[in-house]
Amino acid sequence: MTQIIKVQNLIQVYPDGTKAVDGISFDVKEGEFFGFLGPNGAGKSTTIKVLTTLLRKSSGNAQVAGYDLDQSPKEIRKVIGVLSQETIVDVDLTGRENLRLQGRLEQMHGSTLENRVKELLTMVQLEEFADKPAGRYSGGMKKRLDLASALIHKPKLLFLDEPTTGLDPQSRGTIWDYLDQLNRDEGITIFLTTQYLEEADRLCRQLAIIDHGKIIAKGSPSELKQAIGHDSITLSFKNPKDPALRSETKRVLQGVPGVADVTDSDVGIVVHAKNANEIIADIVTALDRNNMRPTSLNMSSPTLDDVFLHHTGRRIRPEELGRKTTEAFLM
Amino acid sequence: MTLFYDIQSLFIRAFTKIIRNPTLLFVNLFTPLLFLLLFSQLLQKLSVFLGPSGNYLTYLTPGILVLTVVTGAFQSGMAIVNDLNSGFLSKVLLTPSSRAAILLGRLATDLLVLIMQSAIIIGLALLLGLRIVTGVGGLLLIFVTLAFFGLAWSGLLLAVGLKTRKAETVSAVGNLLVFPLLFVSSALFPVSIMPAWARTVSDYNPLSYVSNVTRGLVQGGLSWSTFGYAYAVIGLMAILTFGATLYQFRKVVT
Repeated sequence: MTQIIKVQNLIQVYPDGTKAVDGISFDVKEGEFFGFLGPNGAGKSTTIKVLTTLLRKSSGNAQVAGYDLDQSPKEIRKVIGVLSQETIVDVDLTGRENLRLQGRLEQMHGSTLENRVKELLTMVQLEEFADKPAGRYSGGMKKRLDLASALIHKPKLLFLDEPTTGLDPQSRGTIWDYLDQLNRDEGITIFLTTQYLEEADRLCRQLAIIDHGKIIAKGSPSELKQAIGHDSITLSFKNPKDPALRSETKRVLQGVPGVADVTDSDVGIVVHAKNANEIIADIVTALDRNNMRPTSLNMSSPTLDDVFLHHTGRRIRPEELGRKTTEAFLM
Repeated sequence: MTLFYDIQSLFIRAFTKIIRNPTLLFVNLFTPLLFLLLFSQLLQKLSVFLGPSGNYLTYLTPGILVLTVVTGAFQSGMAIVNDLNSGFLSKVLLTPSSRAAILLGRLATDLLVLIMQSAIIIGLALLLGLRIVTGVGGLLLIFVTLAFFGLAWSGLLLAVGLKTRKAETVSAVGNLLVFPLLFVSSALFPVSIMPAWARTVSDYNPLSYVSNVTRGLVQGGLSWSTFGYAYAVIGLMAILTFGATLYQFRKVVT
């Protein structure tokens, strides 16, 4: 498969001297669902602005859809769709008018455009409200309309800047389903930025974790998680203070094939293993054979948050929900 | 041609917004309408300073038209601020559409609003007893002159809007300029009643030039030199304001 985005040593310095993007390199394959995961201010939006031709890069090389960013911005604009972090719909225009305007600006005409507008209104389930001013739409509806307008010209590459920030859980789920579908069924390459671990985990097949303008880790979500360590199984017992029982239990656990390490913790004993799922039954059988009865058993795998913590020493703290959507005011 | 298609698209959008919010059109007209009604009634006696056949309503109406044009342009500057801050402009810039269409679509909309507003003022003045002696040809030239001036003036507020990205600043700058410029010009009051310093200011005031040429087109007797000077002044203004607008606009687009 070909690379639809190629970025080498991209640097973006703002006029005030802030280095928002500090020498990042990455590739995105055609058909990929690629994510940039990182906290606020990590440089995610800046990267999108540069790759979508809104901002001129300070230095580095970048190609989008085979075109050089500096040399052929107009060619790039023709084949990309962009959903900004702020929901941008004209509240005075109806949903249909919003889509029609977007289509015209994408140089679409006549019945091709009208048919596409209808198709998209159906897809985002807004046919019923198509001729009502978008100002009366809920936040989730506006976001769906905005997504539809990013798709009007059937882009082969879709950029999404924090597409679900500020949305309620239900609207978020709906957007996730659309994105999944667009990538899987229509083969649209998706580049998404997010500060939500769950979103990155659920949607993206390839991830780059970004912090302070630098990419600190790359890979699929499971690769990233596996790279930082093993799964863990935490066992608690009735008499946790009993040292003899404790060391005896540890000895038994160490004998189970597949166990990498056994350590103590405040709540009991922790078993480390590459793949906890595969050995959980063996552990229970081994304990049972020795008449050891755990009072609780807890299995956990590293999360993307652990991955971020591992690389930066900090946790990602997503901004609280309910951020206001910006709307186009009357002229 | 894509430029024309894009201008049309953005014009349709802006015009639809105006139709959906007609109040805005009338809010802008309020001051000019109030001044026209009040001054033409309260200051009727100013006619005596306007020569034997002088009529203050005839004198005042062109000035009110100039006022209408300058206050109407506030809207243009504020609209571009809204489009900048709402992200609408970025959304347009992300499409392969023509960059120039963003400004030209805006100006096309301004022109239509300007013509509609001026027509309302002229209509009211006609009801109050105004006579346009130059007929339809003169009326058309009045619109052309006002449109030309309106665009040159819009350029100023567009530049301020693009630079500051604040609607309040656009209206503050506009108001700060409009009233001093308007009162110390030949727009509303005969310069013959003003003190010498005010007459000097008025002589250099672009609003005087536009008022004088419009007045000549209403009451007849317009000299070529008045016409030529006015158009030269407006042209110079347009070059300056659009130079500033383009300079600011280039910082916004990539």
